[in-house]
Amino acid sequence: MKKEIFLGFLLCVSVIFIVSPFTAYSQLKPGDPIVIGVPTALGSIEGRDGWMAIQMAVDEINAKGGVQVGKTKHLLKAYSIDTREHEPGIPVQDALTATEKLILEKKPHVIALGNFRSEVLLASMDLMAKYKLPYICSIAMTPLFQKKIAETYDKYKYCFRNALNAPYLVMYLQGLMGFVKKQFGFNKAYIIVQDTLWAQGTGKGLEKWYKENGWEVAGFDAYALGASDFSPSLIKVRAQKAQVIVPIFDMPQSGILLKQARAMQIPALLAGFISPIAPENAWQVFEGEVDGMINTIFEIGPVPVKAVPKSVTFHENFGKKWGKDAKINISGHGPGPSYDAIYIFANAIERAKTVEPDALVTALEKTDMTGVVGRIRFSKDHQVIYGFDPKETALGCAFQWRKPGNRVVVFPEAVAEAKIELPPYMK
Amino acid sequence: MINSIIIYGLVNSVILALIAIGFSLTFGISGVANFAYGGFYLLSGFLVWMLLNYLKFPFVLAIIVTIGVVGLLGFVTYWVILLRVRGIPLSEVIATFALGVGILELFRWMGFVTYDFTLPYFKKGMVMIAGVPLDYQRLFIIGIGLALVLFLYFFTHHTRIGLAFRGIAQNERTAISLGIKSDFTAALSLAFGSAMAAVAAIVILPLGIISINQGYEVLLIAVAVGIVGGLESVPGILVASLLLGYAQIITGTYFKPEWMAVVYLAAIVLVLAIKPSGLFGKFKELEERV
Repeated sequence: MKKEIFLGFLLCVSVIFIVSPFTAYSQLKPGDPIVIGVPTALGSIEGRDGWMAIQMAVDEINAKGGVQVGKTKHLLKAYSIDTREHEPGIPVQDALTATEKLILEKKPHVIALGNFRSEVLLASMDLMAKYKLPYICSIAMTPLFQKKIAETYDKYKYCFRNALNAPYLVMYLQGLMGFVKKQFGFNKAYIIVQDTLWAQGTGKGLEKWYKENGWEVAGFDAYALGASDFSPSLIKVRAQKAQVIVPIFDMPQSGILLKQARAMQIPALLAGFISPIAPENAWQVFEGEVDGMINTIFEIGPVPVKAVPKSVTFHENFGKKWGKDAKINISGHGPGPSYDAIYIFANAIERAKTVEPDALVTALEKTDMTGVVGRIRFSKDHQVIYGFDPKETALGCAFQWRKPGNRVVVFPEAVAEAKIELPPYMK
Repeated sequence: MINSIIIYGLVNSVILALIAIGFSLTFGISGVANFAYGGFYLLSGFLVWMLLNYLKFPFVLAIIVTIGVVGLLGFVTYWVILLRVRGIPLSEVIATFALGVGILELFRWMGFVTYDFTLPYFKKGMVMIAGVPLDYQRLFIIGIGLALVLFLYFFTHHTRIGLAFRGIAQNERTAISLGIKSDFTAALSLAFGSAMAAVAAIVILPLGIISINQGYEVLLIAVAVGIVGGLESVPGILVASLLLGYAQIITGTYFKPEWMAVVYLAAIVLVLAIKPSGLFGKFKELEERV
């Protein structure tokens, strides 16, 4: 009998231990805050600005009394941890350990912003599944994220992404190039990318599209991270008379490409993505050498688009809360979606009337609201849908640098504030 | 295209030489591999930027102050950190590497991660050379690189301190017996090497943006060029820079730019396999022959 009591006790304890990770954080008593975990690369520009945007959203919601969960209102409380995953040599496991530390210590109900590197994102999905934590990723861009959700829905259904993914970036670049061809008759491009998975994937997607749409691809070069001399490609651009250079870079040294292209007086339109020239102060930093360059912004917000009033409000309020320096340096990827993620969670919790993970996932899947990035709806594989009309989808855009240092939105046509102009050195 | 390769290959080579020469000078004289070199390089860039933007120094004054401060930091580093571990190579490497990482990560912690850190060109504009446009900044790089080499030759052959440098480098015990102060000379060599890192940073960084990871990359370049040319040999550094600089440009132009980074590694492997002291190195020449 004693043995049976002991075994019964052991069974109960085991059940409690096995079940507890999945339920312990779901309880919400009156007065409890809704805890948001933010594990991200805080030392990166995207992570830092995303975290600032999240704090802004949390403060705004709390100022209005918090989130209505059934009959009670609950304040939001956000905790961050630095995964340092943007630094060279940081293993995936280290970033995951930091994430799990945050989960175990702060017991979050949801996770926002999240991973910077795609491989960390893919690995962290198992962590979210283990703890049943609804997660909205706002930086890492790999399409494999969606593939995993589609293939193993029951396990990975807690994971969502509201940032742009790599295929959508290709879509915007394709649209932009079609626009450039229509306006100027250009049909010869040279693609220069950094040697990373997302940039290579984007470049190859674009190369395929070019070949199918009557363009000639004069060259496709990839540079290792940290490369500081781009003259081999620029020499070939000049020799082959390419009309458009398509750079795809987020490494800081990519600023050298722009400066070197200008120094070598390459008569080609730079149109693509170079992260150092996205911020508001790039005109001053590069002493006007960005004049005429067209740059993609992954999600609107850091660049305000008049057709989406919330993006303008976000941009202004970010400056008011964090100061002028923060506003002029804000990253073109991450902050808008990070801010939106908090409102998406708040909206879903209010509709679900609980923070219970499965109910919250169902509510998140039915999200249909307007945010900083435009209209927010998730696809079946939990990716926010991006397109060209902010009334229908979320929005990325392309802007052109113009004298005396303005970023003018030129694409998509539905929100364009001016037509593309050839830079002075191409007229 | 050939003209472009010749001109930009030369620019690339001089950049490599500028980066590596300070590291090589310190090692050649004191035997200390200053692995804080990348940290000093980046510190110089940020220091000039801060003097220009926070204290509104004139550009020339900011340059002079930075070279002086970083040189002094090298001098102090010897007395405070290296003196205690001198002669224990592994400890020297660990101590200087830790200092370098400390400097770099301090800037990261202080938030120097945005894209607005750039140094101004010395002079804007460009000239056409053999039908190839070349901006003044790259011309300055070539000019300053050559001037630095000439200065080093004059300094080490015609000044008392320079002769003391050579004395210590050739045979430390004999030099001490002739009254040359070994530690003081070694500290001076560290100061000179650090000041040269500052010169390299001030000339090269205006080409792009200052970013933390450049500190690590600069160290890798300095070590790679040093291994190929011979860590303690200034002529070796120059020859290795020309070889690697042109090899990179030719690889990038005729093959694939992503292989440019492989050039360093391939050169290191080849040299270590064939002549471990480097093309002009003499440190282990006897052992190699044996």
